[in-house]
Amino acid sequence: MTPEQITLVQSSFRRLGPDLPALTVRFYQELFERNPALRPLFTTDMGEQRVKFAQKLSEIVWSMPRLSELLIHTRALGARHVGYGVRATDYQTVGDSLIAALAAVLGDEFDAQTREAWVLAYNIVAETMLEGAASARPIGS
Amino acid sequence: MLANVVMTLPRWPIVGRRPELEVFEGALGSGERAGLVIYGRAGVGKTRLADECAAQAAGSGHPAQRIAGSRTTALLPLGAVAALLPDGLGQLGPDGQVDVAALFEQTRRSLRDRHRGRRLVIVADDVALLDVASLALLGYLAAQRAIFLIATVRTGEPVPDLLTDLWRDGRLQRIDLHDLSRAHLDTLLHLALGGPIEAGAGQEFWESSRGNPLYVHELVLGALESGALVERSGVWHLEDHLPATSRLLDLVEQRIGGLPDEARSVVELLALCQPVELGYLETAASPVVLESLERAGLVTIAVAEGQVRLAHPLHAKVVRAAMPKLRARTMLLAQAERLEAASSAPGPAELRTAVWRLDAGGRPDSAVLVRGAHLARSTHDFRMVRRLMEAVPSDERDAVGALLLGEALYELGDFDAAERVLAAGQELPSGENVAMRLAVTRAKNAHWGLCQPEQALAINGAAKAVVSSAPLVEELVAHEAAVLTFSGRPDIALAVLQGITGSDQRTRVVRAIAGAVALATAGRTAEAVALAQASYADHVALGDELAIAHPATHIINQVFALTEAGRLAEAEQLARTGAEVVASHRVPIAQIWFAANLGRVATLQGRLATARRYYAEAAGLAQAHRFAGPRCMALSGLALAHAMLGEPEAAAHALAERAAVPWFGFLGPEQHLADAWAATAAQRPAEAAETFRAAAVEAASTGHRLTESWLLHDLMRTSGEDVSERLRQLAGVCDSALVSARARHAAATRARDAKELTGAADDFEALGAMLLAAEAAGGAAAEFSRAGEGRAATAALRRSAALAAACEGANTPGLFHLATVNAAAADPLSGREREVVLLAATGMASKDIAERLYLSVRTVNNHLQHAYAKLGVTSRAGLAQALGSTI
Repeated sequence: MTPEQITLVQSSFRRLGPDLPALTVRFYQELFERNPALRPLFTTDMGEQRVKFAQKLSEIVWSMPRLSELLIHTRALGARHVGYGVRATDYQTVGDSLIAALAAVLGDEFDAQTREAWVLAYNIVAETMLEGAASARPIGS
Repeated sequence: MLANVVMTLPRWPIVGRRPELEVFEGALGSGERAGLVIYGRAGVGKTRLADECAAQAAGSGHPAQRIAGSRTTALLPLGAVAALLPDGLGQLGPDGQVDVAALFEQTRRSLRDRHRGRRLVIVADDVALLDVASLALLGYLAAQRAIFLIATVRTGEPVPDLLTDLWRDGRLQRIDLHDLSRAHLDTLLHLALGGPIEAGAGQEFWESSRGNPLYVHELVLGALESGALVERSGVWHLEDHLPATSRLLDLVEQRIGGLPDEARSVVELLALCQPVELGYLETAASPVVLESLERAGLVTIAVAEGQVRLAHPLHAKVVRAAMPKLRARTMLLAQAERLEAASSAPGPAELRTAVWRLDAGGRPDSAVLVRGAHLARSTHDFRMVRRLMEAVPSDERDAVGALLLGEALYELGDFDAAERVLAAGQELPSGENVAMRLAVTRAKNAHWGLCQPEQALAINGAAKAVVSSAPLVEELVAHEAAVLTFSGRPDIALAVLQGITGSDQRTRVVRAIAGAVALATAGRTAEAVALAQASYADHVALGDELAIAHPATHIINQVFALTEAGRLAEAEQLARTGAEVVASHRVPIAQIWFAANLGRVATLQGRLATARRYYAEAAGLAQAHRFAGPRCMALSGLALAHAMLGEPEAAAHALAERAAVPWFGFLGPEQHLADAWAATAAQRPAEAAETFRAAAVEAASTGHRLTESWLLHDLMRTSGEDVSERLRQLAGVCDSALVSARARHAAATRARDAKELTGAADDFEALGAMLLAAEAAGGAAAEFSRAGEGRAATAALRRSAALAAACEGANTPGLFHLATVNAAAADPLSGREREVVLLAATGMASKDIAERLYLSVRTVNNHLQHAYAKLGVTSRAGLAQALGSTI
């Protein structure tokens, strides 16, 4: 990512402001629409889940300029997701859902450059989460 | 130095291959598959993936081993798999031969015993190189489930029979690997380098590697070692071309080394002269050769345009580097002659032949070189212009040639050489147009390159005496205004511009370069924005002529004017778009100005960490491209951001760096904000106040009205001094919402009017100036408190805190009131109240919250009421807002 793209991600996230809860609602809508098979993986209450998602997303967005800090968050997060039964291909679905949700909530403000910045940011997050997952996953013999 | 490089680069990450790794895990875990085959082109990462699979298997308790085919082991039957065999070759048969079947079975059993029944994972890299016997053994073991075989096969190589047999039986999992996508490449670079990379550099890596992981790896390591890839303030930049490392040479050589001579010749020709006309190649080489090259993926043929190129940009670079000089020379001269014979008329072909002759070590005709330089100039290829013009002997160089060379030298940052060439050029006979452009370029070089504005004005003045046609004189006047504006005298610049009456399109454009900026800083922001917009359109319509600045200048001016008007969001948006365009077109000076302007907007918005980053980026780019003036300004901005973040040592450091470069007078008084704020951060308030005042006086006397308002307002923010009267006057003569808001804030502070202070906070917030809004809200809170209005005071305080939270760590005197808030009431809500509030903010009804938390509905509503009071809100909607600010 370029420094400008990092800035774009953070400033567009900040612009969400009070709409952050709406983003989380939309995100899960998009996710389950794209892959209903993921719904059973969520055993906690969705309200609580959305709050957790918002918190994690926030942590990650604000640590983007400091890679070592970001890695701490994402690797741990990835490792945790192994236990939930998430596959590598699911990360693509999650990414698409997040982008769609951002586009829906931010509207015109979500221009082409902002979208590209978020795509790249998500890619870094996904790859490093998968790194974390790999070191935590047992393999059958 | 290489040792340093190797140590600082963390382990090369694996990117974009996780789905494939999961496929492997599935295949291994299912127990039904005998192995995995990884197909792909050279350098796509087959070996890396195979090793990563084995590592993962080993990590979860599987035994793993690696064997590789090579030319030596291929000669020796079973040579590659020697490590797998039990001791000795088993019993010999009656004819003294090894009993192969028995040996295989023995091997299987010994592996089973050694690994206690777990399948051994074996990586067989480049399986096509294995000898027949080894392949047979592996096939047997895989079929018997004694091993899980991971084989890599290069696309285009024959697949060994053993594999096709297993494949036919459905026992093998297949993976096809491709080069990385642009997004994956971006991630790879970011993770490998440990931080963001500047846009132009990322682009260069993409264009050279096209996502081939091995090329990327070699290019990055090579660029780090040669010093082309450097990190400045946490951002990676490319300051030179990507070098071709010896390993790259080897890699590419592997791909073309095995080619028959004729095919190799075609590749070499393309590397030197691409694109080459298809028609010519079809006559010069046999069709079979071209076809085979295309099939091997080494060349691409664009039939519609009739052109042939090498498929991978890196191959051209590497093949050129590896070719013997004499051979290259012969080929180049032959091609030059061919093209010259084919078309004697001047045109784009001439540039190519001129370059080829130069490459061949010859010296083409001077006229040809100059024509080629003109062509190169039209695509802004200043390196090429310099190269061609430097091949022309200086006594054969005329005034136009001097202009071409001088301009290129300026663009490339060689300012002393540019001055010499341009001054000499002015001595040569020329028409008025050329004489003027020589003068203008020389003056620009003096101002921006050598940082000598007085000298620039002198050159400009001397030219006015020599030139007689009215439009040209007016253009010189416009350039004079530009020097004045950009050296800190916008008042004189505006007066000088009054004297221009011509409406010639070119004059209008040049006039606007200074005009828009001078108008904006004088407080006529609407005019300035309109002028910048119109001039951009005019400039683009003019096409590209020598000695005018890049069209992006007008966009930059528009950004500046919008900022002065207080239209911060628009300014930011426009600047971001512009920055991206110029980054992909590699116009460093424009990149620098966009970054600096983005830093300026961010400063006004209170996004100080962002501002700091932008200014650091601008300073780094300016240093890399030797633009001392912009560097001075970027360092001022950087020092200011540091100071407002409460980092006095960093601010002092930036100011010291600034002192080491020549002073650049553009927005001079504004640059002194940095000095004043640095003193504030270092707890020297008297010095700070004096600096603000002196700079404000300087601003007033030179027509910097917007700057003056900024300085006075900041004087008030840091010392409390009353500046309301002067700000009121300034608001009266400026059409800027920013100045008006500052004036309102100052008046409200003087009158100690809490409502007005709240209004000022509203004004600032509407403009996006969050830090100023936070400070005004803090002032309102203090006045409400004093008036005994507790609830309003709390609300104002909470608002101030929320606004300050958006300011990325701002630490200004105007925010000191928040220290008490943070300390005493960091989290005013009780645990239960927080739980209720978090759920309510996502839209949950009280009844559902009650059920969820095992409370009564009445209790939930009580908690909500308490929370409303503590957070200073009156409804659930307000809750979401208050919560959004604390996340």
